[in-house]
Amino acid sequence: MTTLFATQPETAELPFYQPQGDEATLFEHAYRHQLPLLIKGPTGCGKTRFINHMAARLGRPVYTVACHDDLTAADLVGRHLISDKGTYWSDGPLTRAVREGAICYLDEVVEARKDTTVVLHPLTDDRRILPIERTGETLHAPPEFMLVVSYNPGYQNLLKGMKPSTRQRFVGLQFDFPEPDLECRILTGETGIDEARARKLITLANALRALKDHDLEEAASTRLLVYTATLILGGYDPLEACRAAMVEPLSDDCETTSALMEVVQAHWAK
Amino acid sequence: MEEQVGKIWHNIITRMANSRHPEAAVHLEQVKQTTGILFRALGGDSGLQIESAGTTRHGARRSWLQRLAGTNQQTELAWRDERSLRLPTVVDCFPTPELNRDLYLWLTALATGDSGTEQEWFQKNQQLTAQTLAIYPGLQPRYERLVAAHLKQRTHSDDLPPKEAAQEEAIRNALLNPGSEDHLPLAKHQPQPVPLWLHPAPPLASARITPSIEDEQNNSSKGKSKELEEQHRRQAEQVTKPEQDRGLVAIRMENILSWGEFAKVDRGTEENEELDQAADIAKEMEQFSVTRDGKSTAGRLRFDLDLPAAENDDQILNAGILLPEWDYKSQQLQPDHCRLLPMLATKAEACKLPDHLRKTAKRLRAQFQALAPARTWRRGMPDGSEVDLDAYLRFTTDRAAGHIASADGLYRDLQPGARDLACLLLADLSLSTDTWINDQMRVIDVIRDSLFLFSESLSATRDSFAMYGFSSRRRDPVRFHQLKTFDETYNPQIRGRISAIKPGYYTRMGAAIRHASEILKEQPAGRRLLLLLTDGKPNDLDKYEGRYGIEDTRHAINEAHHLGLQPFCVTVDNKANDYLPHLFGAGGFVVIRRPSELPKRLPLLYARLTRS
Repeated sequence: MTTLFATQPETAELPFYQPQGDEATLFEHAYRHQLPLLIKGPTGCGKTRFINHMAARLGRPVYTVACHDDLTAADLVGRHLISDKGTYWSDGPLTRAVREGAICYLDEVVEARKDTTVVLHPLTDDRRILPIERTGETLHAPPEFMLVVSYNPGYQNLLKGMKPSTRQRFVGLQFDFPEPDLECRILTGETGIDEARARKLITLANALRALKDHDLEEAASTRLLVYTATLILGGYDPLEACRAAMVEPLSDDCETTSALMEVVQAHWAK
Repeated sequence: MEEQVGKIWHNIITRMANSRHPEAAVHLEQVKQTTGILFRALGGDSGLQIESAGTTRHGARRSWLQRLAGTNQQTELAWRDERSLRLPTVVDCFPTPELNRDLYLWLTALATGDSGTEQEWFQKNQQLTAQTLAIYPGLQPRYERLVAAHLKQRTHSDDLPPKEAAQEEAIRNALLNPGSEDHLPLAKHQPQPVPLWLHPAPPLASARITPSIEDEQNNSSKGKSKELEEQHRRQAEQVTKPEQDRGLVAIRMENILSWGEFAKVDRGTEENEELDQAADIAKEMEQFSVTRDGKSTAGRLRFDLDLPAAENDDQILNAGILLPEWDYKSQQLQPDHCRLLPMLATKAEACKLPDHLRKTAKRLRAQFQALAPARTWRRGMPDGSEVDLDAYLRFTTDRAAGHIASADGLYRDLQPGARDLACLLLADLSLSTDTWINDQMRVIDVIRDSLFLFSESLSATRDSFAMYGFSSRRRDPVRFHQLKTFDETYNPQIRGRISAIKPGYYTRMGAAIRHASEILKEQPAGRRLLLLLTDGKPNDLDKYEGRYGIEDTRHAINEAHHLGLQPFCVTVDNKANDYLPHLFGAGGFVVIRRPSELPKRLPLLYARLTRS
């Protein structure tokens, strides 16, 4: 079923976010002019955090939908449910976001079934409507409503990339792993680790990132760095922390992980 | 008798003089992946390959026992050139496998810092060592262990004449405190080799005529045939020498006989009188010529241009099919421009799956069985074993809301599903597939293994598939090898045909794609996949090269799209990125960066392509 969680602006404090460029400005402009936004970037580079941060800044709730390959249009729009008195209509996350004027965030949108594009298309052009076929209702999105989708244009999705006709309806934003200085600030800001150790972790991460496409399918993400730093700060042995949070999550192949550990050991003197 | 005594003596004396530890040996094969990842992660160029380095004569002082035994003349050193990182084939200089393995990793780390600047060997290595240790402090303990173990093995300076002792002292000091010594004292002998350092004078890959030509030849021949035993190396050496100086050939007759194939290589550069024999000779030579030296490649190319005599060739299935070709200059199809000959390998004997693929095939089959059509619930059926709640709900709400709703399709039923697809695999068998990708395999071997694993996997899914190979020699004929048609089932006979594929002529891709599309078009499946397996651009002897060939192929691909087929290209050509998007469109192709992975990747790629 749909993974859904809505954050309420009243309760959530501003989540930590270190901008890499002027993405925050772009987001605000897109929001003000009711343009849908598409965010591309590798796993764990801060896409979701960015949205939550921006939503908190703009004071809108977020409906996050983690898309998967069984996600249908009905999961987004809503469906009839059965109760004692008969059937009743239950709004899906997208419908709810439209009604409330919230931000609807579809994470990994390329994973969703193709029929979801049918409901996305009328919402993403200047009509900004959501026709609900089952109830015969047509919702007009209020100006506060914003649709944000994201996906990871990596190897996995080579063969099921986003349809160009869908992609064209969005304002695009490319995310990547931040520069070492920025990433250091993120790491210290997020976990409170000291700068020297943060730098060391980042050098190591960049060494592992050089292996992407050649030896590894995915690069070591900022999120993994945060995990590692958290473990280390908690008093866990640094080498073992790197193994647990940076090496093992990157590969299942024993030989590769042991080679990655050699890289870790070369960087990290005991 | 004399010979036997000699042998025994040789065995005893070499064992006594041996300072190596074969029981603790670590082979490059065992650490290749680890060193590769380490190299790339520490900033090494990912385009470089890890290859084995040959032995080098070190010219240092040897103990009398070693001199007596005639051993320890050579050492294996590591270096990096513009093509590869060369590491010793075997490291056995330390008594424990851990230390020997450490040496590999240390050399790899050291080589990542090598910027290729010209510098005195002694200073350069000290500087590199200091630099590496500064950047990667985690290597310090490993380095210290290696130095301690190595110092124990070096001849102590007390046992050496004064000049050599001074030299030895300097090296010891440099090892213990890298960067502390700024010059190496001269001595009569070369210093003893330092396995912890990079090669003092690595042979340059491009340099052909250098004073050390013997050295280089030895290196290149050994580097590429490293699986040969020590004995073979010696022999190879003795044979390459006569080639440099032909006058010597007469002296070592026995070697010439045992390496008869080498004599044939020479014929490659001569004019050949009898063209009929040319193909046969070329066939025999294939195993040796490419690995040995550059000269023979050109020679062989000339042979291969000629078609084999009819009796040696595959069976031709019919008189040929005329196909059009697109001329981009005049923007029109030239009708009946190419003649395509469907062929069937006659000498292919039924065979089993090669042993080295058996394990992978078994795993892939298990994975692919999961793709085989399982029984699935069909919704909205007019009749079925259970009520389709969704449909029923819609029906009742519609009726309650006053809509007119029809009551059919309210059930669901468990029915055998079907994967409604057909796949035609078209493999490029042109001469370029004769290229060696590593020490063991040519591109054609990779393609053959891929075809095997592909058919093993697909027969597990019961998907309908066919396989063909193609090569061409100008527009007539385009040779179209039939490996498996859609109607045949995968059996030992088909395996025989797969194992009989061999590199042929050129790559007239357009014609082959057009014919393959014709075949695939006849399949009734809902999705039809045309999978093209290639290693390079379309090309042929005539104008079918560059733009012309690419535009014709593109046209053929577009025709396939119009027929409702789904063309997809899998290539091992690393430089393919510039023309592939033009041919297949973004997302219509994939470049496999390491060709040796193709056999395993291809079936998985197929699974991903056909996932609905």
